[in-house]
Amino acid sequence: MIVQQIFNGLALGMGYALIAVGYSLIFGILRLVNFSHGAIYAFGAEMAMIFIGMRFGITAGIVTAMILTGVLGICIDKLALEPLRKKKSKPIASLITTIGISNIITNLLIVFLGSEKRNFNNIFGDGSIKFGNTVLTHTQIMMCLVSLALMLILMFIVYKTKIGLAMRATQQNSKAAAMMGINVDFVIAFTFFLAGVCATIAGALVGGYYQIVYPNMGFMAGLKAFAAAVLGGIGSLPGALLGGLIVGVSESMAATFLGSTYRDAIAFIILIIVLIVKPNGLFGREGIKKV
Amino acid sequence: MNKDAKEGNLMYKFQKITYTYRIYLLLITLILFVILPFVFSNQYFLTIIIKIGVYVCLAMGLNILTGYTGLVSLGHAGFVAIGAYASSILVVRHGFNFFAASLVGMIVAGVIGMILGLPSLRVSGTYLSIITLGFGEIIKMTAMNFTALTNGTLGIKNIPKPGIFGFTLNVTNYGLYYMMLITVILISLFCYLLVKSKTGRALQAIKTDELAATMMGININYYKIIAFVVSAMICAFGGSLYSVLIGYIDPNTFNFDVSTLILSIVILGGMGTLRGMFVGAIILIAFPEVSRFLMEYRFVLYGIILVLMMRFRPQGILGYKSVLPYALSKSVKERVDKLEGNVL
Amino acid sequence: MKRKIAIFLVTTMLTGLSMGCSKEQGNASSQAKGDSIQIAVAAPMTGDNSEYGIGFYNAAMQKAKEWNDNGGVLGRQIEIVRYDDKNTAEEATTIAQKIVSDKKVAGVIGHFSSGVCMTAAPLYQENKIIEISPSASHPEYSLIGDYIFRNNTVISKEAAASVDIAVNDLGKKNIGIISIMTDWGTNTSKIIKELVEKEGNGAKVVAHEEIMEGSDDYSLAITKLNEAGADVVICCGMYNLVAPVAKQYKQINPDIAIVGFSNAYSQQLIDLGGSAVEGVCFPVIFFSESDDENVMKFVDEYTKAYGAAPSALTAQAYDSVGLLLTAIKECDTTDSEKVKDKLYEMDYKGVTGDTKFDANGDVDKDFIKVTIKDGKFIKMN
Repeated sequence: MIVQQIFNGLALGMGYALIAVGYSLIFGILRLVNFSHGAIYAFGAEMAMIFIGMRFGITAGIVTAMILTGVLGICIDKLALEPLRKKKSKPIASLITTIGISNIITNLLIVFLGSEKRNFNNIFGDGSIKFGNTVLTHTQIMMCLVSLALMLILMFIVYKTKIGLAMRATQQNSKAAAMMGINVDFVIAFTFFLAGVCATIAGALVGGYYQIVYPNMGFMAGLKAFAAAVLGGIGSLPGALLGGLIVGVSESMAATFLGSTYRDAIAFIILIIVLIVKPNGLFGREGIKKV
Repeated sequence: MNKDAKEGNLMYKFQKITYTYRIYLLLITLILFVILPFVFSNQYFLTIIIKIGVYVCLAMGLNILTGYTGLVSLGHAGFVAIGAYASSILVVRHGFNFFAASLVGMIVAGVIGMILGLPSLRVSGTYLSIITLGFGEIIKMTAMNFTALTNGTLGIKNIPKPGIFGFTLNVTNYGLYYMMLITVILISLFCYLLVKSKTGRALQAIKTDELAATMMGININYYKIIAFVVSAMICAFGGSLYSVLIGYIDPNTFNFDVSTLILSIVILGGMGTLRGMFVGAIILIAFPEVSRFLMEYRFVLYGIILVLMMRFRPQGILGYKSVLPYALSKSVKERVDKLEGNVL
Repeated sequence: MKRKIAIFLVTTMLTGLSMGCSKEQGNASSQAKGDSIQIAVAAPMTGDNSEYGIGFYNAAMQKAKEWNDNGGVLGRQIEIVRYDDKNTAEEATTIAQKIVSDKKVAGVIGHFSSGVCMTAAPLYQENKIIEISPSASHPEYSLIGDYIFRNNTVISKEAAASVDIAVNDLGKKNIGIISIMTDWGTNTSKIIKELVEKEGNGAKVVAHEEIMEGSDDYSLAITKLNEAGADVVICCGMYNLVAPVAKQYKQINPDIAIVGFSNAYSQQLIDLGGSAVEGVCFPVIFFSESDDENVMKFVDEYTKAYGAAPSALTAQAYDSVGLLLTAIKECDTTDSEKVKDKLYEMDYKGVTGDTKFDANGDVDKDFIKVTIKDGKFIKMN
């Protein structure tokens, strides 16, 4: 049973990792915890469901949803967050703004689509593979593969392309980056776009895994993914992946040995312990304290 | 620029008037609130007013931490839950008097607040907010799973209304209303005195610049913990009030939404002001009631309010920078006068 | 620039406002006249359980329309007023205060979950307002007072019916329980355990797992149940729990039998669960495919008006309104004291069978056992 539970936990963790990437990307650049990311994830999943349902076909449907969610991310940045940056508001202002945005997105989804859970087509089919007592469904395997592929693509974008270089430069010092001729606003908008795209892929995969979507799906998943991001070292992509997996597996272990009701608490306990013992997480760089 | 000066001038006049007659204004408001139930004896109306009062208390509690000390908490629903659970368990199961029970609740919350305050010495800023967020969720899950103590998801039902000398305070006989009124006045007074005291000035120094505060010889660790403890205790008392008003609590009552609601009140009203808490609570608690007909749209609007506030008035509605000259205390004034007299 | 944005945002807000208003007016089109008789429907209209609350409201509107078309009651039109309690105790108390202070309604249909009902009920009792809940199932709910009724069976009876299906009809011995972590779920699972222990016919509960609301991953709990050797799972939750559990369980063990409760009986169960919910059984007191004439008429009209067949709880809300209106008509007054007395005497024939309140204000009804076959609800033989 333990082996089975570990595999279940890994699949679960992959879902968290995909959402955690979004937190990491934005935190890396803006030093901002984007509380609206859970809502963006739900938005992406709902859009994917709608477009796939509209006979777009699976790939075209998900791609359309990805672009739409990416644009939503850009809109959030341009309409709400950029003005705050320009005004040099306190970090708390941006934090509250993202909480407000999360409220707006979730409730608009509820107004237009209803709050009930809806069916999300199973993208990868029903089959499963058996190893002795352990059952692995195709969905679980595909989820892991797609997540890994996505991680590799993201790493490629961040570490090997020009825009990735610009992102890393902005991350280190946005003023200096601007002086070097980098269009910082564009880089930030691009990051939001990328985070939105990742959120949609996460939404489509996780939605496809459980075969349900609903507007509030991003709340708990978002908080746990956030814990995963912090654990791995917020701002670091491999950290997000590892953090997600650790949170997923420890959740399944908690469910196995303590009972299902304790599994939600475990993510937050990990979060607090990490923050107290090693605030920068497993892969995070040591923050520079300005005096 | 010209426009700003004009506005400043108006603001100055307004502030001067409200400042000069502040005692009369306060008295009038107080009298209004005392006679209010006799004018509007509508139960629904009174319940809303009491609810606003409870949230004023909660906001005052968070304000000590967030407004004055600059530590943003996203998990204050946890303290509210501790207060509510502690007092209602003692009242329902062990027959405690409400006031004794809520005192115990406050002490428990104070101790837990101290424990939660410890990490604040190590981490700061966003990281601290995240720790408090995790704390709030853990308290909720504890309430859900620690069935022997909290009755789990079934919650605690039929919490009796508080009584004094055999007189039961409820909404119908205005008892609960006056209890709320007295509590709010006492807590405001306490916060006022705290802010004006040495401790209050130390807290504000920490908010403005931690390093400079250390240089001035302020024991930052000590004062941060103090802020956590006081804030937790006030919120716990607010929680006990809440539990007797509603008469039923369960773990889902104290979710993340409550934490953000309290924080929104503080921010909307104006961080680091006392009057702001009243305005914030009135707007955010009355708004969903007034806009009941809007159904789902009201939550959208609630989000829009938060975003717009941050965009155009991040200091809060009443958080304007005072244009009055800095008020000096009497002894300082005398000394300044004497010095100036010497120079002249 | 700043001003432009401000104008834009204000316009959006105003549009939102007016949209909200117009939506509201559109819904409350009950041809209200000067002194109509008001009936309040208090249930979650927004939030997680909104589909049930909206079902209550639709059912009430339909019943009111039927009566209004025949000249209303006492020569007055019937107006349904809806209140959104979001299924939270806090909102429910506020709403109950509002209803009590307004003193305009002839009765309250609602509050959805037992816990919420039980916070609001003392207020109604104190102010002599009749409350009929179509869904509350907690044994203590109706004991709060004589103005408090329910048109739903007490949970212990429904649990007994579910256990009966699992043990006798399906002939399974190893029962696994999966329950949602709400007051209803915890209570129900406890009752099932006691029932199985007492009169299980050799059956036993092999495992019990609780599930948090807001979590979609049940594979961890399912793996544990499967390891414990459960061959039937009693699923204490609504359709939004039963469908995903069925899906995730059948991926691991395709032979598992699943038994639910009447609140899972909803078209959405099939929409959400697809082929995985084939063979899921549960007891209901209202069955929309029934050949009873009244039921067929109701289902037909409801489906025409709202586009989906009514669920069990919706039908119970429909009958609750009918009960209240009939009592008012027979008393010839809206005086709640007389109407309440009448309700205890009445014998009402509705779509959910014969309704007769006992001394507590509870009803006892026969269960129909329903299962899903080929994407349709059918009676179990």
